Amino acid sequence: MKMMLMRMVAVVLLFLLSGCWDNKDINHRSLPIAMGVSYNQGSYTIYLDIPSVTEDEEKIQIISDHGDSINEVIDHISMNMESQVDLLHLKVILVDKAFAKHGLSEGIASIIRSRYIAPKTMFVICDEPLDHFFQHIDASSTDDGTAIYDYFQKNAGWSPDIAYTPTWRIFRSIHSYTNDVVIPMIKSGDSTVIKSTGSAIMKNGKMVGKLTNEETLLYNVFNGVNTQGKIEVMGHATVQIVSSRIGNRSSLEQDQPRLRSTVHLKITVMDTRGNPSMVLIKKELQELVTREFMLLFQKVQKAGADVFGLGQHFRDDLTRPQLARWRTDYLPNMKVDLHVKTIVRNTGNLKARK
Amino acid sequence: MSIAAELQRHFVHDNDFILRQIHLGNEVIAVMGLKTLIDFPQTISMIRDLIQVDDLADHDMRDVVVGLGDDCSSHVFEKLVTEIQLGMLLVVHENSETCVSLIPVPQTLSRSISAPLTENSISGSNSAFNESMETNVGLLRKYTNADDLQLKTYMFGSTVKNRVTVSYLKGAIDPAFLQTLIEAIESRLHLEVNNLQDFTKVLGLSSFNLITHYHTTEMPQSAMRALRNGRAVLFIERVPFALVLPSLFADLYMSEDDNNLTPIYTVLLRLLRLFGILTTLIAPGLYVALVSVNPDVLRFELAHSIAKSRLDVPYPAIVETLLLLIVLELLMEAIIRLPSSIGPTVTMVGGIVLGQAAVSAKLVSNLLIIVLAVITISSATVVGIQNSQSLRVFKYLLLFLAAAFGVLGLMSGLVVLCSYHAGFKTFNLPYLQSTKPKGD
Repeated sequence: MKMMLMRMVAVVLLFLLSGCWDNKDINHRSLPIAMGVSYNQGSYTIYLDIPSVTEDEEKIQIISDHGDSINEVIDHISMNMESQVDLLHLKVILVDKAFAKHGLSEGIASIIRSRYIAPKTMFVICDEPLDHFFQHIDASSTDDGTAIYDYFQKNAGWSPDIAYTPTWRIFRSIHSYTNDVVIPMIKSGDSTVIKSTGSAIMKNGKMVGKLTNEETLLYNVFNGVNTQGKIEVMGHATVQIVSSRIGNRSSLEQDQPRLRSTVHLKITVMDTRGNPSMVLIKKELQELVTREFMLLFQKVQKAGADVFGLGQHFRDDLTRPQLARWRTDYLPNMKVDLHVKTIVRNTGNLKARK
Repeated sequence: MSIAAELQRHFVHDNDFILRQIHLGNEVIAVMGLKTLIDFPQTISMIRDLIQVDDLADHDMRDVVVGLGDDCSSHVFEKLVTEIQLGMLLVVHENSETCVSLIPVPQTLSRSISAPLTENSISGSNSAFNESMETNVGLLRKYTNADDLQLKTYMFGSTVKNRVTVSYLKGAIDPAFLQTLIEAIESRLHLEVNNLQDFTKVLGLSSFNLITHYHTTEMPQSAMRALRNGRAVLFIERVPFALVLPSLFADLYMSEDDNNLTPIYTVLLRLLRLFGILTTLIAPGLYVALVSVNPDVLRFELAHSIAKSRLDVPYPAIVETLLLLIVLELLMEAIIRLPSSIGPTVTMVGGIVLGQAAVSAKLVSNLLIIVLAVITISSATVVGIQNSQSLRVFKYLLLFLAAAFGVLGLMSGLVVLCSYHAGFKTFNLPYLQSTKPKGD
């Protein structure tokens, strides 16, 4: 009997102490889809892109405010809005170039540790003033304002020459000796809503350089991102990459890291000019990819940012103090041999000569 | 005083008691019984057929009478009264003080074998048990047809009497289980058994649990499967189904008729039922959890459209869900209660309440109507009425936990349910054992 009473008390307490009355229903929450953070001499301006929840009209609401920290501003916005701002559904965080150059570490740390924002949120640098960008988005939004979200969705608008970097990867790059990231850069487009302008090389959370869209594609190929359907134009042919795969083998010779990489590309020929042979197409593609990659690699080496995560292959060869010097001492000396192996799927759209 | 006169005096207030003298040659025999249970004209002509007057010359009258049925000359008076109450015909030969009880031509007081009312079968036999125990046991014998089928009949109650038959396959049943069962029954023969609650008391099982110790079935083939799997099947007089003891987890989704399909479809059907069971349990809780506690789990597009559909809904998700679920329960209860001529009206009105009207009135969201439809549909996939009642209750537990703790609460509710099922025992047989006893 006493046991029964105890159990009943426990069940009653379970609900009395649950705090369930603080739960807010979904229609009383504002679900921003994108957040813009602009930094100017110690003061932050935050822009929130909130698809508005109304029955008749589909549009978005852009709200902005400024203050001394990101959380303060969001709290401020939440106070002034008729519903609670809930960042759990945030899909894209936009920062301006000034913030990226100043360093994202503090912002990222607060995002990851607060757990109000999902670590898989995309991080993007805006190549123009944020107020201009958000005005443009507001003006050109015809649907429910998810354009910026769809732009980075792998099953929607994302394409392989745009970098794909969730927040957790930047957090990792800040705290790792051997991993850096690139962050996509966008600006408002002329005829489209958004235009990609390449990607930013980030070193320890700071922007140190820039890649073009073509270089970003190579970066994605090297990192094993599926670049299916990408079309490459060369001298004699236009080919489509059907699939790509990369194999790496590392060795350390007298403190000089060496990496042998083999990129396997499967392609189909889309069109040709002057009836080239398959051998020629293969050779051209191989030269093109190798040359472009080497240029890209030199650029990265010069910036001292290990965006390919090459240091990962040497983690078991180097001690921890040595790894701490990876970006400064080892990466600039590194040598990469790139081999491109190509298979032409010859029964595709066009049958090329042998 | 003679036996006949004594009995007549006992039944003086029952105007359906009949005593007739039949003259056979020089001898007189008295027959008596209750005319509400016995078809007298038929029975008397049956007796006349049985006793040929010519034979009386060769045989002693006493031997002839004893040959008609069971000799109960030595029985005490109360036992004779019981025989009459059970619908037997007593034949008394006063001269030799012989008394015999014989099976008369009965009045037809039970319906004939018909299709099951609570369970439908499209791939198996369609005969169902009914209120008469003889019919039920007969059906069982017809379906089982095994030499080691054993039947034990007990008479319960002191004033209102009722018969209970326990049947089992000697070779299949666990002897320890059988012994506990028989001991439990034999120690409480004085209790009255008029319904299943009474019978639960007889078996000494606890009444305060949410899972059933036994499940009922109307189908002889299900009873037969239970027997084959080492379970006991019990019949209570006037209860139109068989009780299968113990009920197991597998009874939630397995039905004997599945075995009439190709094995692949049997498996697929059972998976479908399990999925239906899980859906009924989880769907209302999941709706509340996702809408009010953890909207971050949804895809953005879905979250946005749900937010839109809940735009002017005044109540929190839990109130909204409870409201519609209770209307649904009321509807289900009302449809059972109503005669079939009014039933469709209620269905139609209920459809309006639970449908677009509630959405148009901004009382509930669109999505909830879908969730509700899914619950109703999937709750019908579970096998057995008792089991579907358990599910009806369990979904509220999950609903409240989900309202308080979101998806985490839903998960912990499922864990609680799992442990409750795992700890449930009937006569020391665990609920979560497989369909067959161990070692089989």
